[in-house]
Formats: sequence, structure tokens, C-alpha cells
Amino acid sequence: MSALAELLQAPGVSIDADDDFDAVNALVMEKGWGDGLPVVPPTEARVAAMLEYCDRPWDQPVAKIPPRWGEATPLRLAANAVMAGCEPRYFPLYLLAIEAMCEEPLNLYGVQATTHLCAPLVIVNGPVAKELNINAGHNAFGPGHKANATIGRAIRLALLNIGGAIPALGDMSTFGSPAKYSYLVAENEAESPWAPLHVERGLPREASAVTVIGAECLHNVNDHESLDGEGLLTTIAGTMATAGSNDIYYKAQPLVIMGPEHAKAVAAQFSKAEAKRFLQQHATLPVGRLSKDNIERRVKVTWKDRLPAPKPEDVLYAVQRPEDLLIAVIGGAGKHSAFVPTFGATQAVTRALKTADGRLAQSVADFRKRR
Amino acid sequence: MSNLSKRGLTTAVICSGPFLKLGQAQARVFGVSELPLLEIQHPLGGQSIDGVKARADHAVAQFVKLLKEKAQ
Repeated sequence: MSALAELLQAPGVSIDADDDFDAVNALVMEKGWGDGLPVVPPTEARVAAMLEYCDRPWDQPVAKIPPRWGEATPLRLAANAVMAGCEPRYFPLYLLAIEAMCEEPLNLYGVQATTHLCAPLVIVNGPVAKELNINAGHNAFGPGHKANATIGRAIRLALLNIGGAIPALGDMSTFGSPAKYSYLVAENEAESPWAPLHVERGLPREASAVTVIGAECLHNVNDHESLDGEGLLTTIAGTMATAGSNDIYYKAQPLVIMGPEHAKAVAAQFSKAEAKRFLQQHATLPVGRLSKDNIERRVKVTWKDRLPAPKPEDVLYAVQRPEDLLIAVIGGAGKHSAFVPTFGATQAVTRALKTADGRLAQSVADFRKRR
Repeated sequence: MSNLSKRGLTTAVICSGPFLKLGQAQARVFGVSELPLLEIQHPLGGQSIDGVKARADHAVAQFVKLLKEKAQ
């Protein structure tokens, strides 16, 4: 008997069903397991193939996913990855993303259960992004690339099926969001004029990594007219500061995504750190744009030290400190950037892809070779 | 809250209606499935101070009742 077959014999670990697409999907829908889309039946053979790329004990949790605090074992994650349509070689990155988003600074409980519409956004850096063909260019957040679509979906299935983020039960989002189906991209390092996001956040360039952000959907910044970096940053700053954004109420870490054309123009005038300083200083919202009650009951409480008696011309910041702003270069041709507001009460988490013995992975094949 | 409950203190959680199921699920997860949930009228946000006080009064009345039941 295989190791997997032994694990599957434990009570409650597996379920008997005909290996039939329609029958399995009827069962999944009846049980409420999933995102509403059809799934690939997670047969023993498919789960075994997925686990070929896992060098951890298959039945030991790598994290607990709130709000149910369900144990995310590689076995459970593999079943969800199969259901989402992942290729087995995607598994190491998927497992890393789950581990990263369950780290305390992200506040996944809040991200999952809040009435806000946030979802964990995963940005992939390093050689594995290219190896897995994760789209970082045109339509990176849209359809058409298997890795983006299925790893992102597998994350959501784990958040639902293991974490219990069931709508109106564990996920109280007023609206939800299309980002709750799949929200995973790579940074367009080849087109970026700056160091990649994972390097800026302290990892070696040769590392592959994920950065997870408790994020809203992206909001577009169209600027076809500015002739220099300062002009582009002025437009981006103007997009960042909006009444009703969680980020103006928290010490948050929102994300500016620059399209490669905008990034090159900005980089001609600004280092990334300088661009952050400019955006932090200029992404401001006059207090007078908020309602009288909001000023009285929120601004005076949240920012009581800085604004004990706020006047309409005083300003609120979209990001409180320059170093809290994240900037990544993503996308294809076109004079666009994007702003990604956050849940506010969340901090980004960046983690490197490592094998079980703690070495930086050069390739997802490292995980297969080691078994 | 679950830790306080496990220590034997009389403990309850205040929830507005739409959040009762989440509260029940969390109580189960943390091993205190009998944790009392005190229901208040939804919503709590966007209320005048009088509206907030009315909800607080409703919760306090339920908690006092709970304390009396525990004392008997």
C-alpha cells in the first residue's frame, strides 16, 4: 500500500465517489465545497501526482487557515489544487503562498471574515515565475494563463474549504469581489527599471518568492499625456487618495502597480524610494472631503495625535509613511498604472521559496528530486 | 473570549443578527460551543449615539439575565 493510500484510510480523510466528472461535481455542489465553478475530481491518482512536488510530510499542517482555523496539510492542499486545475509542478509555489498568507502580520482572519471586499493578492517574483509561465505582462490580472488562473483559484478553494470562508458564514464581505476567484500575478521584472519587489523586501535576487497583500481589486490610472515622471506620479497620487478607502484610516501598506511604460518614465527622474516619498507626500485627501460625522467620529479618533482639531484644509494620507508604500511593475504596453487599496489592518508578507531543509529553491523540480 | 470562558468566568459575545452564524462557528472552533451570543439589532455602524446606547442597553439586559441564571 502506498503512503498516500495509508493516509487516505484514516477516518474522514477521503470520500468514496464514482470517478465520474458529473457525479463528483454534483457531490461537490451538494456539499458546498468550492467556488461555484466545476472542479477537477480529486482522485487518489491526481492527488498523488500533485504530492510528487511536495517535500514535506503530507499529513502535517503547514498553516492553519482562519476563520475555521482548519489545518492546511499538504494532502488537503493537494486535493484543492487538483480541484482548481493546477499542474503538479505548481504545488510548491501554492503551498508557499498559503504559508505566507497565514503569517500573523497579514491578519488573514480579518481579510477573510471582514465586511470589506479584500482578498489576498499574491505577487510572484524570481525564476520560478518564469518557469511556471505566470503572466506578468498584458492582461496579467485577467484570463488566459493557466498558472495565474489555477494557482489563484486553488488558493481560494483552500480559503473556502479549509479556512471556512463560506459566504455569509465565515466570509461576511458585503459585496465580495472578482478577486476572490483568483488573484495571482508575477512582477514584470524584465520590463522593470528597478530592483524586483522581493529584492527590495530583503531577499536575494536569485530567490523565488511570493508577496501577499490583503488587497482590493486594482483601480486604473490612465495618463497618456504627462511628459515626465513627476507628472505621472502626480496623476497616480491623485488616484490614491479617496474618501472611503480603508487606507486613510490605518497604517496600511497599499500597492502602486506601474505599467512598464509609466515605470520607465518615472525611473528617468526618480529612484523607487524617491517615487515613494513623492507619492506619500502628494496622495492626500483634504479632511473637508469627508462628512462632518466621519470627521468627528473617525478622523478625530484615529488621528487624534496629529489632528486633534481637524480643519477642512488639513490632509489625510493614503499611506502614512513612504516606506509603507509598495510599488511593483506589472503589465504590458500602454500608458496605464493602477492603485491597489488594502483592507488597512493588514501588512504585506514576503517569503522565499525554500526546500524543506531551508535552501532557496532554484526550480520547482528541486521539490520533486528530493523525494 | 474563549480562554476567559474556559477559566470559568461568565462570558458572552455581542453580535448583531447577520454575524450570529460567524460567532457560533468561531465558538465551536475555539471549543466553547455553548458560549452565549447576545444578539443586538443590526447595524451597529452608522448609528447615532442614542442608537448605539439602545443596543448597549439591550446587550446589558441580556448579560444581566445570564449572570442571574449562572448564579442560580
